[in-house]
Amino acid sequence: MLADTWHLFGKYMRITLRMPMWTFFTLIQPLIWLVIFGQLFRNMYQASVPAGGHYMDFLVPGIVIMTVLFGSAWSGVSLLRDITSGTVDRMLVSPVSRVAIVLSRVLHSAAQVVVQSVIILLLAVLLGAKISLNPLHLGLMLVIVMLLGIAFASVSNGLAILLQREEPLVAIGNLMTLPLMLFSSALMPVALMPEWIRTVAHFNPIDHAVAAVRSVLIAPMDAGTYAIGFSVVAVFAAVTTGWAISAFNSLRD
Amino acid sequence: MIQVKGLTKIFPSGLRAVDGLDLTINAGEIFALLGPNGAGKTTTIRVMSTISGFDEGSVQIAGYNVDSDPQKVRESIGVVAQQTGIDYFLTGRENLALQGQLYRMNRADINARIDELGGYFELHDSLDRLVSTYSGGMRRKLDIACALIHRPRLVFLDEPTLGLDIKSRQSLWRYIEKLNREFNLTILLTTHYLEEADNLAHRVAIINLGKIQVIGTPAELKHSVQGDSVVLEFAAGDPHAGKFATAIKQEPFVSDVLWETDKLHLYVDSGAGRVPRIMQAATEHGTTVRTLSLAEPTLDDVFLKYTGASISGTAGETTDEWWKQWAGKGGGNWSNKWQADNGKPAEGTPDAADWQKWQQGDNKGGGNASGEWPQDRDANPSSNAGPEQSQDSNQKWPSDKWSGSDDWKKRDKPE
Ligand SMILES: Nc1ncnc2c1ncn2[C@@H]1O[C@H](COP(=O)(O)OP(=O)(O)O)[C@@H](O)[C@H]1O
Ligand SMILES: [Mg+2]
Repeated sequence: MLADTWHLFGKYMRITLRMPMWTFFTLIQPLIWLVIFGQLFRNMYQASVPAGGHYMDFLVPGIVIMTVLFGSAWSGVSLLRDITSGTVDRMLVSPVSRVAIVLSRVLHSAAQVVVQSVIILLLAVLLGAKISLNPLHLGLMLVIVMLLGIAFASVSNGLAILLQREEPLVAIGNLMTLPLMLFSSALMPVALMPEWIRTVAHFNPIDHAVAAVRSVLIAPMDAGTYAIGFSVVAVFAAVTTGWAISAFNSLRD
Repeated sequence: MIQVKGLTKIFPSGLRAVDGLDLTINAGEIFALLGPNGAGKTTTIRVMSTISGFDEGSVQIAGYNVDSDPQKVRESIGVVAQQTGIDYFLTGRENLALQGQLYRMNRADINARIDELGGYFELHDSLDRLVSTYSGGMRRKLDIACALIHRPRLVFLDEPTLGLDIKSRQSLWRYIEKLNREFNLTILLTTHYLEEADNLAHRVAIINLGKIQVIGTPAELKHSVQGDSVVLEFAAGDPHAGKFATAIKQEPFVSDVLWETDKLHLYVDSGAGRVPRIMQAATEHGTTVRTLSLAEPTLDDVFLKYTGASISGTAGETTDEWWKQWAGKGGGNWSNKWQADNGKPAEGTPDAADWQKWQQGDNKGGGNASGEWPQDRDANPSSNAGPEQSQDSNQKWPSDKWSGSDDWKKRDKPE
């Protein structure tokens, strides 16, 4: 199963590397948010949270997580295309592990968002963000990015199988990302949130992921917050992957 | 190699896409499932390839049950689906290598096999190009090569030449035929091209509405339409034509007579030899034959006969009508004749002479495994007992035809 996953993962990576434009394309939106939100909310943020440092520094972890969401939500769309084009059938008639078919897709998505996050981080530094560039901190951040990428790629793949159609999948993907971002501390510090949003955010894995990324990127590192964030995202990734695999196994008509 | 009994597949919509299908395919055979779009060919292939479930029946592939042993079935078969499924943004070599990896072959073996298949399909020069630059025919060849990477003994080809131009189609036929001949590969292909089934297959099953209507070699199927078709056209309202028709029907060589407005369709045992006699009879009855055409039956005739519809769906209304008329009569007396042939060939007819020659040829061929396929013989009468063909259910396929098991291999092949 691991070998199967590896071979299929290699195939997806190879295809992605042949079309690097796509990887950059999905970066445009987070980048726009980074620039515009950075300008838009800067004064408000600094007025309301005097001790909070630069808004740009605060915003970068939120934008990194946003990159993950936008980057991994496409996995399901490409699964549907593979089903229509017969690529999935070609795998299904071979003895290849069915689990590996799902895992390789999800891991490919995760690898993609890891690369995208690094690019976003570099751009943010160029734009003047002051974040920790300690390799350990960056590594810990990428672990969160990877797990969240796995989780959302799984959700996207699972939904693709349930919905069977591209249009509703894209619509739900778009519909889902915005509230997930807004009901978290990605763009706004918790201190500025109304009480009820704070409560909702508590159940939002995105909020924990943002907190964990922020805890390592902005000094001083907060190990406790990271540990909680890591656990939440890891459980989230495990549950969604399991769900995607079981959805895929029910695909047989 | 393949044993399917009573296979029924009902889609959630309630559609019985496959309805009580029985099929036995032998090792070394090229077998064609011939039917129009929507007949259930792809559904059948998908069930046999373990990727679709089914509702009733049992399916044994290469000795394994698709339900209880799907993994073994997958290892034993190669599948070329109707949609290609190869990756356009990988090269031919990468597609083949990945396919080998999916079958858990080791690297060296994969490379050796890629060389072998690249040579066989004359793809060597294109292997390192992206598939997106391939022509339709090349993609199909790569598709088949992918399906063969793990050296299966059995391959399914679902509409292998769909959408190809005539030249690529014929070239692909040669490859398929060669695979079967040189490597004794068992091939189950589906098609809605009559020429394809006719040219390529040792045996053909005509499938329509999820049911097998009839199974046999192309020659047998064509023979079942009873000889050649002679079409006579008379002047409109010729008063003697009716009398002539009644008289000619009494001739022993005429198996059936059908009217289509001013045209008379005669089914005769051997067309060319009977034309003088037909013309003579016409003169005797004082009728004038304006045109006469003679044709050997095609699989299209067979298809029309067993399904009451044209496979291409392009048949004109009048044509359709008289075929329905024909089918409604349960195929006239041809089935009786088959039984007569089976028991004791009528001496002296060219038919019987051919028959005897053929049998002698069989015996010389050192008929190994004589009567190897008893199931087929038995399955035929029942499998074509459709609602319209119920009269045919007592039809017996001449068992002599099966005595030389290699006979179908000797048929002329396109070169
Ligand atoms: N997944 C499906 N769900 C519902 N009906 C289907 C499905 N796949 C095929 N069918 C129907 O089953 C019938 C047989 O289809 P198919 O096996 O593809 O025919 P063929 O390959 O002979 O053209 C058709 O009427 C088709 O519409
Ligand atoms: Mg089909």
